[in-house]
Amino acid sequence: MANLTIDNVVKTYGQTEVLKGINIAINKGEFLILVGPSGCGKSTLMNSIAGLEDVTGGRILIGDADVTRAAPKDRDIAMVFQSYARYPNMSVRENIAFGLEIRKVPKPEREQEVQRVASLLQIEHLLDRKPGQLSGGQRQRVAMGRALARRPKLYLFDEPLSNLDAKLRVEMRTEIKKLHQRLGTTIVYVTHDQIEAMTLADRIAVMRAGELLQLGTPQEIYDNPANQFVAGFMGSPAMNFVPCRLAAGDNGLGVEILDGNGNPTWLPVPHPERLSGVAGQEVVLGIRPEMITDPVPHKADQPLVRQVPMKVLVTEPTGADTMLVTEINGVEINCRINPGYSTPVGETVPLMFDMSKAVFFDPKNEARIDRG
Amino acid sequence: MVKSQQTLNQRLLRYGLYAILGVAALVYLMPLWVMLLTSLKDVEEIRSGTLFSLPGSLNFDAWAKAWSGACTGSTCEGIAPFFGNSFKIVIPAVAISTLIGALNGYVLSMWRFRGSELLFGAMLVGCFIPFQVILLPMARMLAMLGLANTVTGLVAVHITYGIAFTTLFFRNFYVGLPKELIAAARLDGAGFFFIFRRIVLPLSTPIIVVCVIWQFTQIWNDFLFGVVFSGGDTQPVTVALNNLVNTSFGGKEYNVDMAAALMAALPTLVVYVLAGKYFVRGLTAGAVKG
Repeated sequence: MANLTIDNVVKTYGQTEVLKGINIAINKGEFLILVGPSGCGKSTLMNSIAGLEDVTGGRILIGDADVTRAAPKDRDIAMVFQSYARYPNMSVRENIAFGLEIRKVPKPEREQEVQRVASLLQIEHLLDRKPGQLSGGQRQRVAMGRALARRPKLYLFDEPLSNLDAKLRVEMRTEIKKLHQRLGTTIVYVTHDQIEAMTLADRIAVMRAGELLQLGTPQEIYDNPANQFVAGFMGSPAMNFVPCRLAAGDNGLGVEILDGNGNPTWLPVPHPERLSGVAGQEVVLGIRPEMITDPVPHKADQPLVRQVPMKVLVTEPTGADTMLVTEINGVEINCRINPGYSTPVGETVPLMFDMSKAVFFDPKNEARIDRG
Repeated sequence: MVKSQQTLNQRLLRYGLYAILGVAALVYLMPLWVMLLTSLKDVEEIRSGTLFSLPGSLNFDAWAKAWSGACTGSTCEGIAPFFGNSFKIVIPAVAISTLIGALNGYVLSMWRFRGSELLFGAMLVGCFIPFQVILLPMARMLAMLGLANTVTGLVAVHITYGIAFTTLFFRNFYVGLPKELIAAARLDGAGFFFIFRRIVLPLSTPIIVVCVIWQFTQIWNDFLFGVVFSGGDTQPVTVALNNLVNTSFGGKEYNVDMAAALMAALPTLVVYVLAGKYFVRGLTAGAVKG
């Protein structure tokens, strides 16, 4: 049964449409992440779910109840904010108990609930402090504690980690994931960080300019993006986009590129039957950096793998891998190389192109043209 | 060489600055000093000595007379009873106008509605209306309400006039508070007044102090509303002071005048000394926060 249903939700401010008919349904216990660049409407959508903003059209259902016009407090939702969601004048204990106090939960039960949440988040020793005396990570825990104290139907997280430094953010990300696995709560989580989205989500909703571009599991979004924007937004370093022409080759359809020596080379495509309609036309090839590597013998015989000499422009060692920048058809592309592979800058070295996950886009409107 | 010249220049500039500040402080403190000296002399000393000559002995007779014996118009009970009047006017007027300002500011900053900015702008105009303009309409209004010449009437006038300022203070302070606080409380199920009482008011101490100082000073020092809207026995101390200075039987008692003036100024001084540091801090708090 769907725990949250967003049914054709529209929101306009005067003439501007900030949500253009969003449809999402998530199940009980699911972790949904709303991701997109700033201004895409993800925060507006979240505020609409919370009831902090009215929607112009459509319906929002939590469980079976239509809450489109319900007050925030009647929606049985808890929200963790990016910042300041703690009351500075109250102690941590009072902060966590505040929602229970308003709902007239008797004091002994309140105290019990505070203890439960505090031990869950390991903040028992901080209960009598004021939020001002806490570190960034501790404050974030308190903010989560405030949300956890009421066991609502739905949790909303509004960029909860973006105020933390990089190391703490990774730690808290793991904490949140653990917490979700342990409690099995339904969570809607807004972020602009695609790594957070990939690591935490059961499903990701990618938004841009008030539209839902794609809704799917992290792997679906990563491997099978709906358009060039989604493909470029998810993944770091980003997917490479190479303008090229679809042409017939030795065994079916493929794309033409120029190798590092200036010679034309032909690369196979994974689903030629889906591209037969655009044969001979210009397309955009999308290929992720990890699919262009140093030559590895065990893959050499696979039908969609080709070895092409490419010119090395820049190398960026990261320790685990070395990112190599080369150029195909006039655009710079990133490749993920084993650090042990010798790639002197300026030289031409053989690289292995694995085309099994290559995707293709229409150069005019960025739409995916080979989606199954 | 250049360096030492620079430091010499800088030092000269610094001394120059101190000199200017010192002169300014002197100019402001001089009248207070003269008043204090004069209030401690007797009439004979005032007549024979100069403004700055020190009194022969510490003589508080003038203070005693100003407090309980000097004539203010028809009565001769000093300014003591009018001190009480002033407090009866100032305390409720300050408390109520501050509370209304806090509520207005809370609504205008955190519960915005269509036209709320326009309404705020309209209220700001209230800060620029000169006292004289509203004297006649206000007198008519108080008469219609049966509040003419009463303490209640004067309190009402001061509250009405003060709301524009107190609303401005609180609204600008609350605009700096994070919106998430209110959103979080609403999700927790807190209502309008609950949020105000439990979350917003406890965070308002600096701006309450600013507002109280401002309103206390304005209302305590007010003369025009006091002289127009009060009756003989409901006059605030400023009006009584005026009457005391203007009432003379025989020779002018400058020492009594000065003592009365100092006493009338004392409460605002005390408020400033006790809470002054909050005043500066609070006034700038709203401005700095982006």
